[in-house]
Amino acid sequence: MSRVTLALRSPTSRRLLTSLAAMAVVALMTGPSGSATQPMVGPTGSFGEHVSIFGLFPGPRWLLFFLFALVMWGIWTFWLRRGTSLRAAASTLATPPKRAFAHRPVRWVFYVALIGVGVVFPHLVTSQYWQSVMVEQIAVFVLLALGLNVVVGFAGLLDLGFVAFYAIGAYATAWVTGSLPTPAPFGVHLNPFFAIPVAIALVMVAGVLLGTPTLRLRGDYLAIVTLGFGEIITIFANNLYGITGGSYGSGGVTGKHGIPHFSINLGPIHYRWTLNPVPYYYLILVFVVIFIVAFSLLEHSRVGRAWTAIREDEVAAESVGINPLKYKVMAFAIGAASAGFAGVMTAAQSIFIFPATFTLQVSINILALVIFGGMGSIAGVAVGAMVIQTGSMYLLHSPPSGYQPADLYMYLGALLMVTMIFRPMGLIPSRRRRREIVLTEAGEGHMNEVLSGENP
Amino acid sequence: MSEPIFVVDHVTLRFGGVVSLNDVSLRMDRGEILAVIGPNGAGKTSLFNSLTGVYRPQDGSITMTRRDGSTMEVIGKKAHRVSAAGVARTFQASRMFSALTAYENVKIGAESHRGIGVVGAMLRGPLTRRDERQSDDRTVELLRFVGLQDRANTISSSLSYGDRRRLEIARGLATQPQVLLLDEPAAGTNPSEKRELANLIRRVRDEMGVSILLIEHDMKLVMSLAERLYVLNFGSVIAEGTPDEIRANPVVIDAYLGTTSTAEA
Repeated sequence: MSRVTLALRSPTSRRLLTSLAAMAVVALMTGPSGSATQPMVGPTGSFGEHVSIFGLFPGPRWLLFFLFALVMWGIWTFWLRRGTSLRAAASTLATPPKRAFAHRPVRWVFYVALIGVGVVFPHLVTSQYWQSVMVEQIAVFVLLALGLNVVVGFAGLLDLGFVAFYAIGAYATAWVTGSLPTPAPFGVHLNPFFAIPVAIALVMVAGVLLGTPTLRLRGDYLAIVTLGFGEIITIFANNLYGITGGSYGSGGVTGKHGIPHFSINLGPIHYRWTLNPVPYYYLILVFVVIFIVAFSLLEHSRVGRAWTAIREDEVAAESVGINPLKYKVMAFAIGAASAGFAGVMTAAQSIFIFPATFTLQVSINILALVIFGGMGSIAGVAVGAMVIQTGSMYLLHSPPSGYQPADLYMYLGALLMVTMIFRPMGLIPSRRRRREIVLTEAGEGHMNEVLSGENP
Repeated sequence: MSEPIFVVDHVTLRFGGVVSLNDVSLRMDRGEILAVIGPNGAGKTSLFNSLTGVYRPQDGSITMTRRDGSTMEVIGKKAHRVSAAGVARTFQASRMFSALTAYENVKIGAESHRGIGVVGAMLRGPLTRRDERQSDDRTVELLRFVGLQDRANTISSSLSYGDRRRLEIARGLATQPQVLLLDEPAAGTNPSEKRELANLIRRVRDEMGVSILLIEHDMKLVMSLAERLYVLNFGSVIAEGTPDEIRANPVVIDAYLGTTSTAEA
């Protein structure tokens, strides 16, 4: 073999070529479209056109994407490879579990600082658009991702119809506040605050009802059944015209009044939430903190350990007395609770709700957040949700030239593929999940050889 | 000694046309170390799976007597119900929760029979914490009992074969069983590990009062450990007796011991 072919075969140069090819594809995808009369505009424009990003980079596109390719190659070679080498995998397994902030006071300071940032944050956001996005698209999706993480990450059940619980929560709010064409229960119109327990109870019941018969299924079969469930709920919302208002939304055509905002009337305290998103942000922040605390306590309780046991080996889990069905149904109901709460928030904040808000794409979107952030990792899915939702809302708000809103899912898909290849455990992996993935990738037997070589 | 713990009565288990257990009857008494031997494919593991509720035999009955003297029909019960009644087991190819530490593995066994307590887990109240402490104590005690106290924080999949077997025994014992079913515990272990294992099994019976039902191919181990044996061949019981009786039984020698004794060692 000649020297050139040998050099091309080295992993470093192969990665460089792959990066160049990938960026060439991205350049073509984002470049101008040709037409019948000028078919070559696409390729020539994709590389030849001049661009400037934030006024900082005045230059041709080929140079920009060449630089991108170099960056991709650098990250790939110097950062990502570290995580997948066998030796690194072995050390992941060999080191006893350690937490990022092992020292307790430091950890608490970190948590308090984090909450502080959360409290101050809306005052740093001045744009009207970002303030409402912060609530409707980011905070709500953090809640949804936290909920789905219980189902997918903790219990290992693939739920493709998670949006159903979100929808049930939202429609339950509209129902108890008397904002649906169908009359409210007992004719009493409640403040949305009281809708919170009702909606959470309803979605949990829905979770149990759906879970009890279907959670006997495993893997793909469960995914398909939940997919169907999500579709059924959306179709109900669309077609039960007299109850849900159909595709006209909760108001129907009759122009029923909207869902009222939250309000507190406790003795001397009177407060009304309004169209201003910031107070909603704080309300959600409180509940996000509550859910995070509750879910992480759950993760490190016997319930969380039982979920891990079922996820890893259901037969062995049953042999030590764990009832898999019971724990799975529980995961479904608990995960649904947070989605139901997200539904209440969406309903109360947006006044009218529409079936178009609760589509399959939302289910997929939430699942993408969980996978990107790191299945089973609470911090991971929260950060993942913030990153992805901020990114997609940025693209919606100030699209780069040539970007169509429908392209979003293409990029999201590409992002997931890249995540799966280079960082299969997600942005901030959970310790248990990381070990599981290392074990499946390297194979148990092999892992032991590596280990015994390292510490005899 | 005479109180039975398992009474297997004319049990037949079929998979389509294949008869895995054919009219098997046997009895296991409380406090004994009983072994089931037989060539590969004789139905030993099928018997275990039937006793633990994993398989559901078509005919016959399996009666289990609880510590308080009440009885339970095993056939038709889910595996976790059988476990709750006091039956623990290990698996032929040991099945750990491989991404968890040795400690967590045992703890899962120790706490599985308590109520579920989601709300308690989320609030972490005093009762939950007391429960947790009890499971922790029991876990430490059992890891010490099987001699794995120094490996408590090791990920179970990086333990040696012998250690994994012992960990599986500890996890089974954590469920507070009356009877422990061991499916080829000595497979893949070296001679010194085998000796330790035999000691451990005896200690489980003597110190914890747990009856032992054992499947094993290593004849030396079985003959030194078991007080009584059943021999299975092609899904049927062909002999029953003490180790000495079995060694002298011409049917057994013909079916199993005689023809393969050199290869089995």
